[in-house]
Amino acid sequence: MGFEMEQTDQLILDTSQRLFVDHCGADVVNTAENGVAPTRLHTAILEAGLPLAWVPEAAGGVGGSLALGFNLIRQSASFALAAPLAETLVANRVLAESGLELGDSWSVLVFDGGSLPTLYDGKVNGVVENAPMHTGVVRLVVPVSDQGTMRMATFTADNVSIDYRESLAGESRARVQLNEACPLELSPAIADITEQGLMQFCALVRACQIAGAMERMTELTVAYVKERQQFGRALGKFQAIQHKVADIAGESALANAAVEQAVRELSAHGQPFSSNGDTLLSVATAKVVASEAAGTVARLAHQCHGAMGFSFEYPLQQYSRRIWSWREEYGSEFYWSERIGLAVANELKGSPTGQSESQVWDIVSR
Amino acid sequence: MSENIRFNFPAPVIDESVERLRMEVRAFLQDEIRKGGFRPVTDCWCSGIDPAFSRKLGQRGWLGVTWPKQYGGRELSALHRYAITEELLVAGAPVHAHWIADRQSGPLILATGTEDMKRTLLPRIAAGECFVALGLSEPESGSDLASVRTRAHKVEGGWEITGTKLWSSGAQICQYMTVLTRTSERNDNKRHEGLTQFLVPLDLPGVSVRGIRDMSGVEHFNESHFEKVFVPEDAVLGAVGEGWQQITSELALERSGPERLLSTFVVLEKAFVQGAATMSGHQTAVMGGMIARIRALRAMSLGIAALLEQGHYPEVEASLVKDLGTRFEQDIIERLREFWPIQLKQSFGDELHYLLSDSLLRQPSFTLRGGTNEVLKGIIARGMGLR
Repeated sequence: MGFEMEQTDQLILDTSQRLFVDHCGADVVNTAENGVAPTRLHTAILEAGLPLAWVPEAAGGVGGSLALGFNLIRQSASFALAAPLAETLVANRVLAESGLELGDSWSVLVFDGGSLPTLYDGKVNGVVENAPMHTGVVRLVVPVSDQGTMRMATFTADNVSIDYRESLAGESRARVQLNEACPLELSPAIADITEQGLMQFCALVRACQIAGAMERMTELTVAYVKERQQFGRALGKFQAIQHKVADIAGESALANAAVEQAVRELSAHGQPFSSNGDTLLSVATAKVVASEAAGTVARLAHQCHGAMGFSFEYPLQQYSRRIWSWREEYGSEFYWSERIGLAVANELKGSPTGQSESQVWDIVSR
Repeated sequence: MSENIRFNFPAPVIDESVERLRMEVRAFLQDEIRKGGFRPVTDCWCSGIDPAFSRKLGQRGWLGVTWPKQYGGRELSALHRYAITEELLVAGAPVHAHWIADRQSGPLILATGTEDMKRTLLPRIAAGECFVALGLSEPESGSDLASVRTRAHKVEGGWEITGTKLWSSGAQICQYMTVLTRTSERNDNKRHEGLTQFLVPLDLPGVSVRGIRDMSGVEHFNESHFEKVFVPEDAVLGAVGEGWQQITSELALERSGPERLLSTFVVLEKAFVQGAATMSGHQTAVMGGMIARIRALRAMSLGIAALLEQGHYPEVEASLVKDLGTRFEQDIIERLREFWPIQLKQSFGDELHYLLSDSLLRQPSFTLRGGTNEVLKGIIARGMGLR
């Protein structure tokens, strides 16, 4: 069940589900954060070719639909996956769309929604403050500005300066500095990839991850309150707890509905890395709703878990820390709310009558 | 590892004819507003009563659209009806007179009524000439409907009904009421048995209907008393004892419709248009955030429409929509207050202030009617295995 997909897509998702169950249990996620690389998980993901799901067959990939990739990302987030699969899926798709060579392992898109490094005289200069990163990364894909036009430049980790950081959840992030850096490859300007389009795409990836993580948090909470006995009965028998669980389910369902709608809209648009008015509204809606839900779901899930959920050993915190950081990346609910508000206000201001009766509804119901 | 908990909200298949119909309805409503045919009101599906306007909709063929043609319908899809109701709601059109009959009583008669009821009543409902009220709640039965005390006793040739129904919206202009009664003694172990619904003409001897004014000043509620009211055998809806099944089987449809998220949209529309030119960044974000939530809620609600169309019965999903949607309808007013404070009773011609203050006075009912949000959360919790 999920975004509309082909049958072969479902086979791939079944495979990845088994793979994650086998190699990405809660203990693996915790030990990975403590510095033990989950080698078996990484090898299994790469051998299964999952990072190539979005790469066209002509470029040596799986040729999966947009829906497949987003489903895979949502599924991986429901395991708090200790691997940069989402990052590599995005980077590989950008490489393929740009006609550049793929890396044979992990890749990242060095982009955080801020201003782009600049290309001049074949060399790149600039800083990306909060790029996704991974210590095993073989290909850095950097959108660069060539006198206002965007092109893609690739680098290895050696020819840029990487200042490693961690997200709240211990996921690898970095400040990447490019100093007269010479790209391995440089794409021409690509009409179908815009800065806005990339921003939207990355925001939808994060919204999708939040939705996946919240599904697992819902499941963990339901299982916990059924099991845990206090005052002589299961926590889940208390109406106060039942209502919290219902609220968790509602926020999680709302985020999922918005994410699925955005994936449908982007699929219909046909060009994942460019934006139009409809994809802006849908993606912004998904990121707003998912980011808002992240706060509510984390708060309620922890409340239902008591002190247990606060301990490092219990898996809940891996999800709450992830959604707290994902909700900020590529635009929080505040950022995207303002984008929606601006888009609607601009349309209202530009309308000839100024006082038609259902202009806002016209935008909402498109 | 167990399965993830995911609720499914598929995309409905909306063909061109739905969009065409939507545009027709929209154009008609805008024209009516311009001509002064109606004044947009908030919460219009409960507060806007105008039988003449309902007749206009009936004449255009926009009521009972999903019903068979032989009973006055047009055999259109549930999504056609969904589009019509959305447009009526966001325009703030006075639709209360026909709302219950079109949404609930008509389909109930279609499913359980006699052939005679279907032939005589459904075409009149579809024409906007016959209205039906709900006789469910009572002075002692609000959320707990199985505890109704209104009794129907078997008598020669029919039934005799005695009891009091409360909160029946619009009953003063309705010709009929569907009345939930107890037809056999209450058994505490089987509380949902022994309940039967009747279709009762409100002009029968022994029926009295008294209006009740609500806190917003509107008199749409009613208290209806039935004193030994005789109805013939064929006034029974479906079979004797099936009442509970009947009222619960419609809930998914009733709880997930657009009226569970759009009751106050007319206010947001007006506020946005008024504020657009001068909004600060913060205000723009607050307004945009509301648009996001409405779009997401709408995706959920449409997803349920799609599931219903496919023959599923998504009870938990529908409860999720109603819980989230009705709370958001209230929240819209709280969020708009930051920029448009609500103080005075009088509006002095300021349409936005009128809609805002009226919404504030009406919103306590949003999370009560059709099953309180606490009841809904109980249904959701049960769906997740906690009860």
